[in-house]
Amino acid sequence: MSTKVLTTTRRAFLKKTAASAAVSALPAWTHEPAPVPLEQYQSQFFTADEWAFILAATARLIPSEGDGPGAIEARVPVFIDLQLAGDFGKGTKWYLQGPHDPNAPPQLGYQSPLPPAEAYRAGIANINDWCRSNHGRPFVELSPKEQNDVLTGLDNNQIVLTSTLGVNFFDLLLQNTKEGYFADPMYGGNCKMSAWVHIGFPGARASFREWVGVNKPYPLGPVTIAGERA
Amino acid sequence: MRTLLTTILALAVLGLIAVALTGLVPARKTPVQQRVAGDFTSAGGQGEYVVRVADCAACHTAKGGKPFAGGHAIPSPFGTIWSTNITPDPETGIGSYTLDDFRAALYDGLRKDGTCLYPAMPYENYRKMSEDDVRALYQHFMNEVEPVSNQVKETRLTFPFNQRWAIRAWNWVALDDAGFKPRYNDLVRDRGAYIVEALGHCGACHSPRNLFSAQDGTDATAQAFLTGGEIDGWPAPSLRGPASAVTNWSAEELKAFLASGRNSHSGVTGEMAVVVQDSMQFLTSKDLDAVVAYLRGISGAAEQLPARNDDKAKQTIALLNAADPSMDLGPRLYLDNCNGCHFTNGKGAKGVFPELDGNSIVVARQGGGLIDVILNGARMPSTESNPMRLAMPGFRDRLSDKEVADLATFLRQSWSNNAGPIDETAVVARRQKLAAH
Repeated sequence: MSTKVLTTTRRAFLKKTAASAAVSALPAWTHEPAPVPLEQYQSQFFTADEWAFILAATARLIPSEGDGPGAIEARVPVFIDLQLAGDFGKGTKWYLQGPHDPNAPPQLGYQSPLPPAEAYRAGIANINDWCRSNHGRPFVELSPKEQNDVLTGLDNNQIVLTSTLGVNFFDLLLQNTKEGYFADPMYGGNCKMSAWVHIGFPGARASFREWVGVNKPYPLGPVTIAGERA
Repeated sequence: MRTLLTTILALAVLGLIAVALTGLVPARKTPVQQRVAGDFTSAGGQGEYVVRVADCAACHTAKGGKPFAGGHAIPSPFGTIWSTNITPDPETGIGSYTLDDFRAALYDGLRKDGTCLYPAMPYENYRKMSEDDVRALYQHFMNEVEPVSNQVKETRLTFPFNQRWAIRAWNWVALDDAGFKPRYNDLVRDRGAYIVEALGHCGACHSPRNLFSAQDGTDATAQAFLTGGEIDGWPAPSLRGPASAVTNWSAEELKAFLASGRNSHSGVTGEMAVVVQDSMQFLTSKDLDAVVAYLRGISGAAEQLPARNDDKAKQTIALLNAADPSMDLGPRLYLDNCNGCHFTNGKGAKGVFPELDGNSIVVARQGGGLIDVILNGARMPSTESNPMRLAMPGFRDRLSDKEVADLATFLRQSWSNNAGPIDETAVVARRQKLAAH
């Protein structure tokens, strides 16, 4: 099943943010507190084992070595944890009743009785079982190369998970990892706009039309929805 | 604070005079100022039109309440004044008022029982109302407005302002002669003067207050008339002189602003948005032309629009266009938060995004309006000719107090603007006010 159906529409996103802006009318402006280090982070959704898996798996999808921040530096696991603990994880606004047709076109929507959070839970357990029976260790204890091979196997459908009931776990994880990397820092990932700085995205600044046609990179760093500057 | 103390002192002195007066002289109701046929009846719709132009609903219709049933809270420096029920209900409204009683309320601020209304009722201005309009209004309220039984909250101001009899003395000091005297020998400008000075009571907000908290002049012959006032920390901008919008906008633009709440320079905000929505947009095109002609006349507006300080504006534009990361916080915040709509030239977009260069709210002596708009955003009214309620978002969650102050100061001193800085403490105060509401 394609994960295209998991992508919220622009309109729904705008509606949601407008509504949350209306209820979050704070009397005074407060600074964002500095986030706790990832090792001390108390996960909202994942168990300790699952959390260790997510740290390891996202670190393979966007590694810390090489150009720019990795998933770990950008705190992508925090983003995924918060999303799964919330409406997205519960599939609050989705139709989850049957029939579920794994071959249905994406327009027909999500095709699993498991909401994303449960699909993650089942998928991680399933992958660890596979690793134990094939390597004798859970995913986190494999070498980076072995981990890459497992993820590649999932991507190629050489490793098939039966417990996720129609959800393509790898596609879901990859998509959420990208989202956590590039979403506004208010959602927990893209820490300090590091991913935006890396690619030169100027952030939530609406427009800079005076630079249209200027053949130079825009000099100012990005801003977040909350108004922080990098 | 000093003004308040002097006002109290002045009122105390007046109070003593008033004690003598009230003892000796009963409250006098101003008689009819113009001859009108005894069997006068207003033309159909005239009363309703006068109600719109005089904007009675602004105060006498409470939010969510029945039309004209009162109970709207009017904040004053002396406490909350609750507007009265002016439906023809005989018990709780004005159903038992005769025409003379009604005129006395409009002209002299007197209730039927002879006690004084607080001058939140703009009888300083309404006392210039023509007898035709008084009667049209009376007939409208008595015959066309639904009677509503609604006992409104009693206004309880702090001492000494709860001494209503003292208003007699205030009236003696504050009130000009009743009745409107045309003075331009020009039907159009005289009609404009009548709407602005009498029915529209524009001076109630747009004129400064004198030592007695009375309007400093109630017609254009007074120097201070319409030179700007203040409501709740917001400016009611000056409508006269070289810096005023009346002088800097064309006649067409001024008319569009009053009729639709927006023009190529700006969008109406604050209390005036309600005035446009509930009153000004209902004026006939002819009456709007009259208002515009009168205002332009007293403001000294010329056919040729005055030139702006382009060199200063160019410096701001160059600074913003460069987008140098080492720039000060003020311009940086402008680029991060405002530039998307108002652009580096501060001109915004016609009919959509207000101009900040030369904007009367931005450069006003009172910074409250500018700070409030940055914190809470603004929304244009929906008018018949322009129904879209275009809005600006608030930045209260995005900017700290210091950031709002730095941004506001930047706006006040950029392009051709040249106003004083905004202090962080002023932002703190406006935020607290917002939280208290």
